Amino acid sequence: MAGIISNTIKTICAEQWRYWLRTKVATTVLILGSVLTLAALVVNAFHIEEAAHAREHLQHEAEERFLSQPDKHPHRMVHYGHYVFRTPTPLSVIEPGVDTYTGNAIFLEGHRQNSAMFAEQRQSAGLTRFSSLTPSFLALVLAPLFIILIGYGSVSREREAGTLTLLLTQGASRWQLVLGKLVALMLASSIFLLPLLLACLYVAFSNESALVVTLFCLGYALYFLLWAVVVTACSTLFEKSSASFTVLIVIWMSACILLPRMGSSVATSVEPSIGKLEADFKVEEKLRSLGDGHDVNDPAFVKLKQDLLDKYNVDSVDDLPVNFRGIVAQYSEQRQAVVINEFAESRMQEELAQARIARQFGWLSPTVALRSFSTLLAGTSIETHHRFLREAEILRMQFVQGLNKVHVEKLDYKLDMNRNSSEEAADKAVVEASNWAVLSEFSFQPEAPMARLSSAAMYCLQLLLWVGVAALLLKLAVRRFNP
Amino acid sequence: MTSKSVISASELSVRIDQRTILDNLNFEVGKGEVFALLGGNGAGKSTTLKTFLGLMKPSTGTASVMGMSVADNTNEVQKSVAYLPESVTLYGHLSGYENIRYFLSVAGVEKTDDAIHEALNKVALQENAWHNTLSNYSKGMRQKTAIALAILRNAPVLFLDEPTSGLDPAAIDEFNSLVSELANNGATIFMVTHDVYGACQVAHRIVLLSNGKLTGSFERVGDTPIDTEAVHAAFAGRK
Repeated sequence: MAGIISNTIKTICAEQWRYWLRTKVATTVLILGSVLTLAALVVNAFHIEEAAHAREHLQHEAEERFLSQPDKHPHRMVHYGHYVFRTPTPLSVIEPGVDTYTGNAIFLEGHRQNSAMFAEQRQSAGLTRFSSLTPSFLALVLAPLFIILIGYGSVSREREAGTLTLLLTQGASRWQLVLGKLVALMLASSIFLLPLLLACLYVAFSNESALVVTLFCLGYALYFLLWAVVVTACSTLFEKSSASFTVLIVIWMSACILLPRMGSSVATSVEPSIGKLEADFKVEEKLRSLGDGHDVNDPAFVKLKQDLLDKYNVDSVDDLPVNFRGIVAQYSEQRQAVVINEFAESRMQEELAQARIARQFGWLSPTVALRSFSTLLAGTSIETHHRFLREAEILRMQFVQGLNKVHVEKLDYKLDMNRNSSEEAADKAVVEASNWAVLSEFSFQPEAPMARLSSAAMYCLQLLLWVGVAALLLKLAVRRFNP
Repeated sequence: MTSKSVISASELSVRIDQRTILDNLNFEVGKGEVFALLGGNGAGKSTTLKTFLGLMKPSTGTASVMGMSVADNTNEVQKSVAYLPESVTLYGHLSGYENIRYFLSVAGVEKTDDAIHEALNKVALQENAWHNTLSNYSKGMRQKTAIALAILRNAPVLFLDEPTSGLDPAAIDEFNSLVSELANNGATIFMVTHDVYGACQVAHRIVLLSNGKLTGSFERVGDTPIDTEAVHAAFAGRK
């Protein structure tokens, strides 16, 4: 019996494929979809590979350039600064996540915390800024549209053409007919999924957890299955193909376009954050209240000065065994870092709260659910970016305070104070270039696979729930299915 | 004529949204009989046909085919019957031959190419059209393809919906001959039609249906066709 059932389903599925292959529109959609997905993958893979090499090269070059600086005043080196780069995770070939907006390089320097740079969207010029065709965008937004275009009439066409009655009177059950159409649509969907799976296979061999890659693939496979089920259910439920198409387009627009954007809008309304310019002004205002770290006579450092004089039991800063300007720079940098980090942390918490609210829209849209799931698994989520910022800040402090320590210990205070009196004095107020070896190696790694899996679990649940809802819709459609 | 009933309606009623479409139908059709249900538009012919095909459920009573209640054994009944729709709707993107292959496959019936060719020859479909797509077929050619499919199904029961509608006189004659031949070979044929002349030519029995009720019955005696005038008068009077 099972054999007969599966034979009927296979026959109906094969016939659906023959129909698609003989219909120019369906064939065009299938070819266009798979070519687009493949092209986006190849272009993105090349782009990321090139960017990774460029970053590695730039990181190396930045370190070399920093170390090759001549004898200088250590504070000039603090302002000379240094770059750190974040190498993209292997799965970012498919799911670049927030990387395209947040940037992956930071210029580290004293007294300030710079934003990440070289974001794809910021570097782009003109219209390309809005037309980045990433594989995840294709899979999340365009693939469902392709599935709708080829599948909206798969069952309703039979009813409209009158072949449905003849089919059913051959002894095919309603479920066999609908499942045959569904299997055909799932196979068609897998054409869009195949390039993605091949890319995942490649990623699995490039230092990424096999479990993460497998679940990543399963997430996308579930999403495609979900759309195939919804499209088949609507085609079964509605008597006319035009009605099925209209309803499916409305569902697509809601799930893939409106709800994700609504999620972002609601998140920014519920958890408003101040703009960067306003935040920068506030930080500057607070930093000014801490005193000018370049001026040893700033009233903000009176107590520091007195504490030092007491500690070393001397009457003048000239008699201190350390460079007081360096001490002030060290002290000032530490206090500024507290303020800067307080603002940065607050901003990150706001962004995180917004991201979490936006992700709750995964209960309303499977596209949002998969987006959250895939970015968390790929290590391209806002959380990963925040970790990059925090790790870069730790490095910045190590590097700046390392130079300040050189300033304190290796440069004579009097020479330092006289540096502006003449060119000759300026030449004397320097330390040897060998002191520039204060840079720690920076190698940013994505979170451990289990940590990523754990944070993505909730969104996997959202996806599974959607598959359940789609299955119920299909059951309802078959129950109400009449020729 | 009928040794054993193959098709039967017993107190069969169908109501849709409080409206009675079929009202307490009772009849039996024997093996090898050509039974015509004659009625005007809205008489309930299509509903009767759909009920016997398992596409609609009776509100009360029973529709049986080969001793099986259609409502309770829909799939089994569908596998035992062949159906020829009024407007033969096969797949336009397939050829006549491919259509037959596909529907046979759905029905789980395996036939050799020779058997298919034989059936197509039997229904007199020109050989040069067998592998043309259906979009190039006339209504008569589509009808012939569907009849070939019915023949190949080897179904003991055939349900025909307005089978001669839209056919030219020559095609009607060919069709009537074929129906008679199938009946002579033991097939039971149930047709719904409003074509009085066609029904009288081919049917062993004609039953009139009006507003969901059976209103009259005419039987062939020997080889003499049913009197067209009498049926027409009854049909016109009741329509």
